[in-house]
Amino acid sequence: MASPKDYSRRAFLRKLAFADEAHLGTVNKALVCIFLRGGADTLNMLVPYGNDEYYKLRPNIAIKSPSRGGSAAAIKLDDHYGFHPKMAPLLPIYREGRLGMVQAVGTDNFTGSHFEAQDQVDHGESCGHSLGGGWLGRHLATRSLAQQTPLSAVAIGTALPESLRGAPSASVLNSIEEIKLQAPAGQSQAIAKALAELYGAEVALLAEPSKTTLDLLGRVEKLQGKAYHPANGAVYPDNTFGKGLREIARLLRGGVGLEVAALDLNGWDTHFFQGAEAGLQADCIEQLAVGLAAFDKDLGSSRSTVTTLVITEFGRRSYENSSMGTDHGRGFTVFAIGDRIAGGQVHGPLPHLTRGQQLDLLGPSGLAVQFDYRSALSEILVRALDNRRIENVFPGFKGQEIGLVKRAIV
Amino acid sequence: MTVSRRHVLKFAALAAASAGALPLSGCEGITSSASKWLGEGIPSKVGVANGAAVDPDFHFLSRATYGLWPGDLDYLKKMGREKWLSEQLNYEKIDDRACDLRARRFETLWLDPGTCFEYKKPVLRDELVRHMLLRAVYSKRQLYEVMVGFWSDHLNIDVGKGDAIYAKATDDRTVIRRHALGRFQDLIAASAKSAAMLIYLDGNENRSAAHPTAINIPNENYARELLELHTMGVDGGYTQRDVYEVARCLTGWRIHTPWQRGQIYFESAEHDDGAKVVLGKTIAAGGGQRDLDSVLDIVCKHKSTARHIATKMLQHFVSEVPPKAMVAKVATVFEKTGGDIRAMLRAIFTDKQFDQFASGKIKRPFHFIASSLRSLAADTYAHSSLTEYLNRMGHAPFQYPTPDGYPDQSSYWLSTLLWRWNFALSVCDNKVPEVTIQLTELATAVGALVESGENVESRKISTSVSKLQLDRMVSHFVGRQPTTLERQTFFEFLSQSKKDARPELVGLILSSPAFQRC
Repeated sequence: MASPKDYSRRAFLRKLAFADEAHLGTVNKALVCIFLRGGADTLNMLVPYGNDEYYKLRPNIAIKSPSRGGSAAAIKLDDHYGFHPKMAPLLPIYREGRLGMVQAVGTDNFTGSHFEAQDQVDHGESCGHSLGGGWLGRHLATRSLAQQTPLSAVAIGTALPESLRGAPSASVLNSIEEIKLQAPAGQSQAIAKALAELYGAEVALLAEPSKTTLDLLGRVEKLQGKAYHPANGAVYPDNTFGKGLREIARLLRGGVGLEVAALDLNGWDTHFFQGAEAGLQADCIEQLAVGLAAFDKDLGSSRSTVTTLVITEFGRRSYENSSMGTDHGRGFTVFAIGDRIAGGQVHGPLPHLTRGQQLDLLGPSGLAVQFDYRSALSEILVRALDNRRIENVFPGFKGQEIGLVKRAIV
Repeated sequence: MTVSRRHVLKFAALAAASAGALPLSGCEGITSSASKWLGEGIPSKVGVANGAAVDPDFHFLSRATYGLWPGDLDYLKKMGREKWLSEQLNYEKIDDRACDLRARRFETLWLDPGTCFEYKKPVLRDELVRHMLLRAVYSKRQLYEVMVGFWSDHLNIDVGKGDAIYAKATDDRTVIRRHALGRFQDLIAASAKSAAMLIYLDGNENRSAAHPTAINIPNENYARELLELHTMGVDGGYTQRDVYEVARCLTGWRIHTPWQRGQIYFESAEHDDGAKVVLGKTIAAGGGQRDLDSVLDIVCKHKSTARHIATKMLQHFVSEVPPKAMVAKVATVFEKTGGDIRAMLRAIFTDKQFDQFASGKIKRPFHFIASSLRSLAADTYAHSSLTEYLNRMGHAPFQYPTPDGYPDQSSYWLSTLLWRWNFALSVCDNKVPEVTIQLTELATAVGALVESGENVESRKISTSVSKLQLDRMVSHFVGRQPTTLERQTFFEFLSQSKKDARPELVGLILSSPAFQRC
């Protein structure tokens, strides 16, 4: 997606030379978007233990009712729902009223294709109506361009997720430390200058990423070389996801102007032997919950400005398949953490689990979708991130009130 | 080291005749010497293009190979595209001993899945990756290797999933490499019965079960991707009912354990043997394991499959948005020849429009690394110091998590510039451990180095690079003369350097936008 190229090559070089520190230290409202790739079985994360059908449909993989007690049972939240035991680290945040859930969120895509559904969610569009850029990219494009730097939007990993396409500037990194030019001593500057000249002539695909990369090189220098100490005794899990969250916290606490961070957690496509309180999915849930709890602790006082959203591309069928897994379904649960979140509750009723089971054989079903996923995203952008031009992010979309995010007190 | 020619040849013959296992890193030096004898060096004189636009033959080679080894352009120009293409399509006849010396040393590549279980996963993974990269860089069967890469993405298997890694070497040999230039349906049939694929997409777990919930529910993971990704394409016209019916057809394929570990077999007791209807065609009850062939006959012969495969190949070799007429033409070739991959490639590379798409694509990181090494005639055995760059750019072979394979769209790869620059600068300065380049030899061959010592006395050695020499060097890598801006930038850079900055100059050429394109 084209973005305004309002500065000349010369201005760009100047900007490079004097990477300004104007907005160091300013506190932005920030969104951390975690995408559970593969279609998470949220019915086993937020367990509807009060529903008999749930146990009938999942004879081998259901999570035991809290009344059964023991470490394998769900952790009771209310009379209907319990957390998967591996969600335990998030319980305090739920009880503080800062973790909220929305039930049966989804897209209007019935193909059951991971790639179509992920693409659609990342782009924030309706099925078959493609929009330029991703929803986070368009959100950033509605913000003041003058304040945006390569550290306004960061994706942890090796490739920019589709959701951040179209952002005025976005960086992809695993760690701040790795952002440096491997040039012989004393030649970095001359090489960076030559690269800026060579790429400055680009008008197509390579123009923006090269500017971003060169600009980023200048900016990260001041964060590098200092050891990072998580606050409040937070201990991140020693895995890729934990390290990614730690890096995001470092940027947020470093006050470099981070507004949007994107991070993926893979491994949710549990067709086969997904397990119950332990097993493949439980391991994923544990990574998620332990990581998010550490992140929340580490943010400390910055918590008031940070909203964390957890989404996936679709939920899974209500019933298990013959290999004790679940196939692609429809509605899923959205999880969101933050001071602005109306937490400690599940928004929206649980749809009927078995209605239309015969139809299920004809296509991905599972939970019927009651909220378009963009309704949840809009509420977060408008009420937690102060987006004033939501119609530019989701053109033509009329959202439904969910109540996931508290309205600002005027 | 001095090695007599006789010794080298004896060694080479021995190595080529062996089944491949030469796990001796101490042999790398001697292997490199032997390779040179087998024609894997820098020719004494290398021609370069001298036009302002990318030379059409350079463009042709950029797409049909993993990059131009010094001398490749001369070779193509001498023999002509038609002959070159025929030679490449009959790849079995190309003498590839020099490459074999480097790439056949990885013993796990030759083992069956059961024996692979004796090895640790990281060993298996490293050997798979190193083998793939070394073949891409050194094989003379370049078009074949490019297609091996193409099908490895098309039939993607992430070796990180479950036990898939133990069966991937067998998949690479008996599915991808056996059929890379064969018949499409044979390729898909081999893949459907590949243990690695059965593990990766849960085919191994797809069974007809007498389930307590009384719903007979197959695992549809493989069935869905077979239709959506491997054959018809997401808009190919199948329904969810078809996915379900195909999944039923494919129930019952299993993998032996613990005896004959990793071998596949058909368990009729777990097969749903009722009648099925796939894409409107009835598959009669009682078909047993023949159901698989029936399904493949239906989907591989479907018009959507011809179109989907033609489109993907054109996106890879021509343009991300290939002209409709080309898609129609190549799809027709698919239909008329029963999915003959060679015939499709011939149709693509001989199309009149082919030359219009020069520089329209951005190299993916694997291609960038391979083409850097090829155009530098680098000497490497792909140790981790090199493959780490692939990891960092998110393009290590066989490690893409989802079944759609590494994206072929340029936009996906644009965040890798810093790592491309760092690789280019390091490799040209001989700073990537265990990767060696001979810049002086290369510069001499392309005519980019003064042979007399006249200019050495000048205060700045860098001024000894003349316009002609710079132009020839740039053209060797990008297939055209530098633009005024490029030339100016390179000279400015040289004039600022206090030492001999020619390694960095070449690093900058490889870092420049022109070398990212292909």
